[in-house]
Amino acid sequence: MATRETTPGAILPPPRMTTGKIGWIRNNLFSSPGNGITTVVVATLTLYLLWLLVDWALGTADWAVIPTLGGTLVLGQYNSDSVCPSNDCFWRPQASLLIAMTYFGMLWAAAATALVRGVALTTAFAAAAMALLPLPFDEMGMDVRLLLVANIPAVFLGRWLGRHTPLGSTRNLIIIAFLGFITVYCLLSGTILGFVDIPGLHTVPSRFWGGLMLNILLAAGGITASLPIGIMLALGRRSNLPVVKMLCIVFIEFFRGVPLITLLFMSQTLVPLAFPRDFPLDEVQRAGIVITMFSAAYMAENIRGGLQALHRGQTEAARALGLPPWNTTTFITLPQALRNVVPAIVGQYISLYKDTTLVFIIGMLDILHMGSSFIGSNREFLPHSRELFLFIALVFWVFNYGMSYVSRRVERNLGVGER
Amino acid sequence: MADQPRGILTYQGIPVWRHAVLIQWALQILSAIAVVTLVVWFFSNVVFAINDRDIPFGWNFFGRSYGTPVPEHALPFNDSTDSYAYALLVAAVNTIILAVAGVILAIIVGTLIGIARLSPNWLLSRLSLVYVEFFRNVPLLVQLLFIFYFILVLPPITETYHIFEVIYINNAGIAMPQPTLSSGVAPGLGWAAAAGLGVFAGYTVYKLRNRREMLTGAVSYPLLSGFGTAIGIAAVAWLAIWAMSGNTPLGLSVPAPDDRFGRIEDGLRVRSGAIVMLIGLVMYTAAFIAEIVRAGIQAVGRGQTEAALAVGLKPVGVLRNVTFPQALRVIIPPLISQCLNLTKNSSLAPAVGFADLTNVGITMTQTAPAINIFLVIMLAYLAMSLAWSAVGNFYNWRTRIVGT
Repeated sequence: MATRETTPGAILPPPRMTTGKIGWIRNNLFSSPGNGITTVVVATLTLYLLWLLVDWALGTADWAVIPTLGGTLVLGQYNSDSVCPSNDCFWRPQASLLIAMTYFGMLWAAAATALVRGVALTTAFAAAAMALLPLPFDEMGMDVRLLLVANIPAVFLGRWLGRHTPLGSTRNLIIIAFLGFITVYCLLSGTILGFVDIPGLHTVPSRFWGGLMLNILLAAGGITASLPIGIMLALGRRSNLPVVKMLCIVFIEFFRGVPLITLLFMSQTLVPLAFPRDFPLDEVQRAGIVITMFSAAYMAENIRGGLQALHRGQTEAARALGLPPWNTTTFITLPQALRNVVPAIVGQYISLYKDTTLVFIIGMLDILHMGSSFIGSNREFLPHSRELFLFIALVFWVFNYGMSYVSRRVERNLGVGER
Repeated sequence: MADQPRGILTYQGIPVWRHAVLIQWALQILSAIAVVTLVVWFFSNVVFAINDRDIPFGWNFFGRSYGTPVPEHALPFNDSTDSYAYALLVAAVNTIILAVAGVILAIIVGTLIGIARLSPNWLLSRLSLVYVEFFRNVPLLVQLLFIFYFILVLPPITETYHIFEVIYINNAGIAMPQPTLSSGVAPGLGWAAAAGLGVFAGYTVYKLRNRREMLTGAVSYPLLSGFGTAIGIAAVAWLAIWAMSGNTPLGLSVPAPDDRFGRIEDGLRVRSGAIVMLIGLVMYTAAFIAEIVRAGIQAVGRGQTEAALAVGLKPVGVLRNVTFPQALRVIIPPLISQCLNLTKNSSLAPAVGFADLTNVGITMTQTAPAINIFLVIMLAYLAMSLAWSAVGNFYNWRTRIVGT
């Protein structure tokens, strides 16, 4: 019997119009008439605005205001003649940066994840790249540039220390963070915690700290301190001890209920009266403490949200296994709660960093003060204030976008919302 | 029972240092004592310092006349006679007006951007992402100063921009037409009452038509008929009052440049500080609201959208009738907290010179005790925060899931 052999035809490729770039454009930009019209209108508008922006940025705009301000945007009056007569204080912020980089290197060794490595290397190379800024050498000398480049060896030194010395354990890293912060404070102020002057270093009281350095220092202090305070407040608010609970509620609701700026004003008017006259606490420290408290109150609410979202079964199982309440908190509930609110915590860190600009209103010398007082005293730069503030906005944007990017990566690594 | 520890230091047969209840009480008492001691120490230091260092303190300045102009005032303000307390009230009203206007605009802008973020159109969704990521990650104060200096370098009043000689824009602010009660209070208020009645009638018609459509399925155009009723009643009332009195119920005050002083007269004139605050607060808060709206809509299950499309609703109808109402339950609580943030952020006004509560307070500290002024201001902001929380709690109570 004759059978007819059927040969399958060659598998045809999908129609050209549905795959590849063309298919993508059809699906995402012109899937329907309305969609197509939207695309055309939005694209025209965007291109027009972009053209305006580029035309302004490359044509009308005069970016000279930024190099004119130069180092004062970063350090404020820290290295100026009136504060540091021989202008040789610039190395102290830079040494602080080196300390921070070494610490990043140690974190890299301890965490050993691609993310931490990325953060450490990116910050170190970004700092080193600042050495290539096209500023004249009499404004940014070779010593400044070399110290910036030294950030790269510093991060690797930190990694070596973390790997080959006992400094890299988690407990030691926490201790080093606090010690490092104190060292940086002593170095920048030229005193030992404000009590004794360090011989050979010019004393720079913290009211002369300024520029972006002040914003970063306030933020770093706040970031280090607000999480532990926030955790304690959150636990206190959930505790079944009525007195502790009430104290925490009053603290949290008060700090969340009033604007930070009024708190900052109080920190300069009322708070100094609450301490004896010779109490070693100056304006910047008071502002830093208030910003930290403010942030801790929000942090406490974020963490409380995480604790509330945990299923009761976690606590009950831990108790059933015989874990005492304190260990149940530190080993069972808190780690899970913190993991779940990583985005909220980082969001709060970003807010904290943005809020450090508010010290401008109470007259501190942060980056906004340097910019705005420069425009105020050099009216010929008034038409170019847009360039200056756009630049400052971009500086903050880079930091904050970096933080939110890292937070999204951490979230993905921890698998938040997947288990 | 022989190995039970015995002694004076036991309670219910347990040594006191291991008795959970006693330890908890001891902890509470200790923390209470610590806090009370700290507060008393601070308080006594403050009292001592006020006497010792001659710090101005006291509440009797409130009744004195303020004697300083408040640049923006929605309430009438006479700076030579009105008191400090009244000036603070005027400033608080400024803050409230700014906050309410800001909240309304920020919700509109933020919702649009949040929906655009989920648009199937790639370009639109990317653009809203860029918007959100930019405005969220730049400090509000930097944005405010940017807008402030942007407006500062606009042409001065003598070379003002104008749009058809109706709206004037210059570096001092903006002037636009404003309805006034120029033809008398009675026709104006009468028309306003009629229009209010129209809005109520329109809403009722909308409800009834909507119900009819839902019950019978007959196409009833609820929105169209509702708006039509409202506008119709308002228009009829307008014409009736016009016919009866010979004047339109409301006049229109159009701004015009004054040739002698080069100033803009008449109309609604808003100084640049208020504009900077409004634009800055709206753009900044809208970025956060957009994210809240996006997350809220995404929280509604896919099945809802698919089912709605399957029964034949158009994409806009799906969003309006199915997804968005369900998303609201997720959206509203964080939205309220953004409204609260906007209200608190309005206290950045001193940086751009808008006369809000904080700015007037700072100005007052030059002539009155700073501590008292700021205590009052903090209380005012606390009250506003509580008001927002009350709104949030009311909404939660209204939309609670009953009987589950």
